[in-house]
Amino acid sequence: MAKAIKRSKWPEYLVFIGPAMFFFTLIVIIPFLMSMYYSLTDWNGVSSKATFIGLDNFKKIFMDDDLFRKDFWFTIRFTVVSVLLTNLIGFGLAMLLTRKMKLRNVYRTVFFLPNVIGGLLLGFIWQFIFVKGFATVGELTGIGFFQLPWLGDAATAFWGLVIVQCWQFAGYVMVIYIAALINVPKELIEAAHIDGASKWVMLKQITVPLIMPAFTVCFFLSISWCFKVFDLNLSLTKGGPFNSTESVALNIYYEAFRNNRYGLGTAKAFIFFVIVALVTVLQVMYTKKKEVQA
Amino acid sequence: MKKTLLLLSMIITLIIAGCGNGNNGASEGAGGDASGTKEVTLKVFNFKVEMAEQLDRLAKEYEAENPGIKVVTETCGGGCDYSAALKTKFSAGDKPDIFFVAGHSDLDLWEEHLEDLTDQPWVGDIHDFAKVPMTKDGKVYGMPLNLEGWGFIYNKDLFAQAGITELPKTISELEAAAKQLQDAGITPFINGYAEWWILGNHLMNIGFAQQDDPVAYIEAVKQGQETITGNQTLNEWANLFELTVQYGQPNSLQTDYNTQVTNFANGKAAMMQQGNWTQIQLLDINPDLQHGFLPMPINDDAEKMDKLPIGVPNNWVVHKNSAVKEQAKTFLNWMVTSEVGKRYIVEEFKFIPALKTISADESQLGPLAADIIAYSDAGKAIPWVWQRYPGYEANTSQMASTMQAFVGNQVSREQMFEQFQKTWEEFAAQ
Amino acid sequence: MVGRSERFSFLGKAAVQMIVIGLALLFLVPFYFVIVNSLKSYGDLLTNSASLPAELNFTNFSRAWEIMSYPRAFTNSLIITIFSNIGLVIISSMAAYKMVRTPGKAMNILFILFVSAMVIPFQSIMITLVKVGSIAGLMNSHLGLIICYFGFGVPLNLFLYHGFVKSIPKEIEESAVVDGCNAYGVFWRIVFPLLKPMTVTVVLLNSLWLWNDFLLPSLILSGKELQTIPLATYDFFGQYTKQWDLALAALVLGILPIILLFLSMQKHIVEGITAGSVKG
Repeated sequence: MAKAIKRSKWPEYLVFIGPAMFFFTLIVIIPFLMSMYYSLTDWNGVSSKATFIGLDNFKKIFMDDDLFRKDFWFTIRFTVVSVLLTNLIGFGLAMLLTRKMKLRNVYRTVFFLPNVIGGLLLGFIWQFIFVKGFATVGELTGIGFFQLPWLGDAATAFWGLVIVQCWQFAGYVMVIYIAALINVPKELIEAAHIDGASKWVMLKQITVPLIMPAFTVCFFLSISWCFKVFDLNLSLTKGGPFNSTESVALNIYYEAFRNNRYGLGTAKAFIFFVIVALVTVLQVMYTKKKEVQA
Repeated sequence: MKKTLLLLSMIITLIIAGCGNGNNGASEGAGGDASGTKEVTLKVFNFKVEMAEQLDRLAKEYEAENPGIKVVTETCGGGCDYSAALKTKFSAGDKPDIFFVAGHSDLDLWEEHLEDLTDQPWVGDIHDFAKVPMTKDGKVYGMPLNLEGWGFIYNKDLFAQAGITELPKTISELEAAAKQLQDAGITPFINGYAEWWILGNHLMNIGFAQQDDPVAYIEAVKQGQETITGNQTLNEWANLFELTVQYGQPNSLQTDYNTQVTNFANGKAAMMQQGNWTQIQLLDINPDLQHGFLPMPINDDAEKMDKLPIGVPNNWVVHKNSAVKEQAKTFLNWMVTSEVGKRYIVEEFKFIPALKTISADESQLGPLAADIIAYSDAGKAIPWVWQRYPGYEANTSQMASTMQAFVGNQVSREQMFEQFQKTWEEFAAQ
Repeated sequence: MVGRSERFSFLGKAAVQMIVIGLALLFLVPFYFVIVNSLKSYGDLLTNSASLPAELNFTNFSRAWEIMSYPRAFTNSLIITIFSNIGLVIISSMAAYKMVRTPGKAMNILFILFVSAMVIPFQSIMITLVKVGSIAGLMNSHLGLIICYFGFGVPLNLFLYHGFVKSIPKEIEESAVVDGCNAYGVFWRIVFPLLKPMTVTVVLLNSLWLWNDFLLPSLILSGKELQTIPLATYDFFGQYTKQWDLALAALVLGILPIILLFLSMQKHIVEGITAGSVKG
């Protein structure tokens, strides 16, 4: 009897989950599996021949690819710094903008606005600002900060990318934090206030634990954005100067399309995918655990 | 098992129901033709945004002269990565009939898809040096798009202002001129060293093209019989590189192409390493700019140094398995033999023609092109050789990174050459 | 005592307001550059890029409008954005609902599969995607592009709906079942209306992405008639020259609709994200 009911439910599952599963499989999973096959070949992206070479590509990446390692290290540094700053700024803005304030909604809009300019153009515009805008301001004011060779030096180019990344995504996570903060019960805060708790203690003991789910989401999103940074990297610095700001995604792209080593590129992409998936899963597990404790 | 089966049937249904629309503009024209003759469509995949509009108009003219043929152009350039797009097009089976391939390494990559054009009537009209990049085993696979050249573009007014009367032909003279400019309060060079192609393709090319036998040298390095480290000519080339940095503007590593050209046009520096493609932009920004080309000398052999690198940036090619390849060849032939086509090449595309049968002068193309033509006619040209390097632009962009590190004082001159050597060995090994 | 504390809090408020204004201005700097320079001639733009335009010059806008065939590009972008949104909302909300309401490990694993796909770098499946696309007949048609968006959009959409469905009490549905609704009736009549705040969020976030996307349409669509706004905008970037004057004007024309959409739905988006992702 129970079995019969269960069987009759199959068409229902198919209607509800089937379409999502189908499109996802067709557009993401099949191409992904196909490119995994290419990661075991020496295909150059053009030729009709793709020779199967086993794990040679992976061997090459692990044994001697200094640039890939260097790019990984850059991507990790970039991710750590940008994720922390993005969330710090986003959370700070959310704290400020949940207070009573004139024009509050206007400010929220302004901070979210950077998200409406997408992709490559964003990098081009910032390139314009770093190279021309900052130089002009520097000439007029004589302030050293603006006269730095922003994109021309390894250290400043790194920070240039971090600045733009934070500028674009701080507003996005801000919206999520605002939403969470609004949901914190006022009574809890008031009770703590009467007990004489300082603002810092209240933030640490009450607010943050209560909105932990928001941290889970924001960190997940920002980690995956930062790790995959591509458009911005390509249009702002192209990985330069001297490859110091080349992200892993850009490295993969160059390998496949400029170096004509598509097989090697997909092998890198696969390694990259495994690592990013691992990091994000660990992060979600970690913050989820905190949620339970709270 | 049942789940998989259901999913499979679902997939099939959806493919039939949802994705049956593979039609595009190509077949639409055929139906409306009353006479019943089939209309033929030529698909051209263009890489140069600057000539997109003009190419469309040229296509219209061709269609008017040749009823039954439709020329559809598609452009990918600038924000769009042409080589990536071309590769994806080929994977997708949406193969254009006419597209673009650069010479040497790029030719090797695409060769299996290219039609042999050796028997085409225009082949004999190509300037000899322009034929080389697309020739392999005696067969010609492409029609050169145009000629381009570069060197130091100099500002004649600023040179006069600094009191330079004799144009520098050797590196010593160049250094003296730079000094003179600097003393007059003028920045001698504006370097666009943020751009990898300015460094890796163009500047680097001088060091290889000035070898006694560039082709033999490059082959020998590829084979491991010669090295980049310890090469006398390359070492001299590094002197020129250092000179431009020493007498260049500060922060050259973040000066991109646009900034370089703009600042030069506005008289903020007296020289820039650039090519004739800057012409339109230069005059847009400063219509009164008096300018011309100087060679890029690496030593004091005046006769040998007074040369400009002139070459072919890209070539029209025909897809070998195209059903309309004969029509494609006819179109290319029409473009370089008919009056309309010739006029478009010079006056609309603003190209320096690569074919001897098409003439052009300064009034049509501006002073930079005139200098290129003069140098070319006098036989004072050195070849473009980076298309011969192993790994092509993967190699040059890697060398450009090393050169940026040199400008940024991250590596010494010796380390720079050791890095070059490593890069070459890596790509030669493939 | 009380007065001092009030005065302090007044000063504090003023300080906070100042900080917010300062930050807001900082966030607007790039927009200043875009708008100011879209009104300048090319030479002026390159020479004095930080200053205000000497005179208001709208010719860039009219030229960009004409060259990019703005009405056509706009219509194309609109069609793609609307239909991708409709499809994505339907398939992801249904899937998310069923996945949340089905207990057991299988659904968890399926959910993780969807979400982990969000970290696949697009560049690594680009070539194989077009191979699949050409076999399935997706190339060179708006419908094909929309189907690709279904595949790429599902993970994030599902992720967002998944969190939201959890917050809807099961009891409501159960009473509907008693009233004789079948599973589809329950979903469309009871659950889907309750998902509205999340749907608004999903639509807005999707629209931001779909409207601005460049790489995917550049691979799938060829030919001017099918061009979207970002594709048309990139036509101003040549091999050597970037026509900034026209590109910036095109950019302003391109993002205006999306800013208007955002402003008009700003209230909903804050509500929507509140309700959705936080409970994920």
